[in-house]
Amino acid sequence: MRLLTVLLTMGLALAPAAAPAAAELPIFDAHVHFSHDAADQIALSDAVAILRKAGLKGALVSSSDDAGTQKLYEAAPDIVVPELRPYRRRGEIGSWVRDATVIDYLEARLKRYQYAAIGEFHLYGADADLPVPRRMVELAKQHDLMLHAHSDADAVERLFAQWPQARILWAHSGFDQPQKVRAMLRKHTNLWADLAFRTDQASGGKVDAEWRKAFEEFPDRFMVGTDTFTPERWYFIGEHADWSREWLKDLPPALAERIAWKNGEDVIRAAFARRR
Amino acid sequence: MRLIALLAAALLAHDAAGGLLDFTAAELRAIERHGPWPPPAPRDPSNRVSGNAEAIAFGELLFFDTRLSPNGAMSCGRCHQPGRAWTDGRRTPGGVIGATGRDALTRNTPTLWNAGFGRWFGWGGGSDTIWSFSLRPIRHPLEMGSSAAHMARTLRADPELACRYRRVFGEAGKPDEALLVDVVKAIAAFVETLVSARSPFDEFRDALARGDRDAAARYPLAAQRGLRRFVGEGNCSVCHFGPAFSNGEFGDIGVPFFVPSGVDSGRYAGIQRLRADPHNLLGRFNDRPGDAGAARTRHVQLQPRNFGEFKVPGLRNVAKTAPYMHDGSLATLSDVVKHYSELDENRLHTEGERILRPLRLSPQASADLVAFLESLSDTGRYVSGAPSRCASRRVQ
Repeated sequence: MRLLTVLLTMGLALAPAAAPAAAELPIFDAHVHFSHDAADQIALSDAVAILRKAGLKGALVSSSDDAGTQKLYEAAPDIVVPELRPYRRRGEIGSWVRDATVIDYLEARLKRYQYAAIGEFHLYGADADLPVPRRMVELAKQHDLMLHAHSDADAVERLFAQWPQARILWAHSGFDQPQKVRAMLRKHTNLWADLAFRTDQASGGKVDAEWRKAFEEFPDRFMVGTDTFTPERWYFIGEHADWSREWLKDLPPALAERIAWKNGEDVIRAAFARRR
Repeated sequence: MRLIALLAAALLAHDAAGGLLDFTAAELRAIERHGPWPPPAPRDPSNRVSGNAEAIAFGELLFFDTRLSPNGAMSCGRCHQPGRAWTDGRRTPGGVIGATGRDALTRNTPTLWNAGFGRWFGWGGGSDTIWSFSLRPIRHPLEMGSSAAHMARTLRADPELACRYRRVFGEAGKPDEALLVDVVKAIAAFVETLVSARSPFDEFRDALARGDRDAAARYPLAAQRGLRRFVGEGNCSVCHFGPAFSNGEFGDIGVPFFVPSGVDSGRYAGIQRLRADPHNLLGRFNDRPGDAGAARTRHVQLQPRNFGEFKVPGLRNVAKTAPYMHDGSLATLSDVVKHYSELDENRLHTEGERILRPLRLSPQASADLVAFLESLSDTGRYVSGAPSRCASRRVQ
């Protein structure tokens, strides 16, 4: 890892070219984690260099635990937009909904730091109505935060039922079909959709016909994201940005820009700006 | 398939006494899909000398010839050793060739048993034929470090090699690069012959298929229990599919893939390498460009999920090919079973249907799975022919 530091530093020092070329489409990556194991294995300076080299204009970052997000925000406040994940360690994805101590954790962090959102959390079906998720939604309401839900459509509906004015970023767009995503976006004007870790929207640089309809109908609602769910996937951030640029080229430039970065800036960074 | 259904009914009519579990019809169908073995010998349409006896003998000679490396120390057979099930028995080969740190080779040397049945080669599938894959270790500076020029010089200077080349390919007066491709095609023709022999599992599978309960009952009960879990709740056969126990594709099973220089992105880099390779099936060295294999290469798509995926290895002779995983990080079959038993779900993405879940196996259940995997070993061994000079050899 020390060598990587050297290489990245060299790259940055020798060439501002490590920064993206002028014509390169900026990317707002709406799905980044810098969890404890990533922070252990990737030096903070390396992580920031990866974000910059990828040409990221912004990154919505949440981590298990939140310390990684805060370190990264401190190191790159121009890129990182913090969100608060209800996980303190890896392994709480399935247990947090019934763990009341999660609320104590969220409250403590919310007292101390500013965020754009609470998430990304994993929440499915009727679990959304359990006491812990309900209290989490109340906290989001109290602090004027978005929710970033890795959820099925049912859970998203339940979240809106609890708080009709909620602003929800639907992680991976629920891994649902584009037709279903469109139906949800039509129904909920405060719903946005991230496309992290899905590949069906494009193949070989060509946008899928059904997804194209969704993008054209809702140009202001989609964002791209890497999802660094393991430490190794930090090294995919640059590849993902390039992969996204490739398929976004198949859309009209104005629409491509919206999905690539403008929606992230207008929705997520704006939400953070309101909190500061 | 109809026969299996009838047999299932017959077998269910009996109790499990006599050392035979009461496999369900679905289990019997799943077991049947892991055979018969051996299948017809593999042939590579892109290689005009695939299956050619003279080419196989020539390839065998080349495979073990250290003169193909400029320092005279390396050959294919140095890492793919017949006595070690065509592996080197090491976690990674870095120590063998003296490279360390970020320069070290970070992937485990895979077995060559049954390689001819694959469609992608290398842990990341960066090649679409055995012959094109063989170019990589031959040229890699940390492996054989050879070149087309060195290979051509060696071949033209040695009467025995030159004679054999002529008999397979004609005169060696062609450009060095074309001659090198011929060399790897001969090597590939040899590698294709490395088909493992029948195993205790095959005897069991065939006994079930013909309804021979007595013969089937000779298969150890522990292996039967392990097999049941393998095709059942373990979901192992979803990826370790078919007679060779591999679907030939790639998966992320939660094995870390950091390497000293960053990450080994596996299939992701493999697809990038495949596309850039002038020796792939879309290139001019394919001896039958219109074949279906080329279509697979043309249509392969680079996708985010490929990042960190590695090839699903076949499992025949798996007990002889330790250590395991793309990085050789698991020393024994018990370690492999433990990996799946205690799978870290947080390393796996929750997209769609989850094939992989922690199996939470008891010690007995773990031992049963190991017993099944051990039953995939054959009892055969590689025997080189005893050729006369410039004459064919055979593999038995």
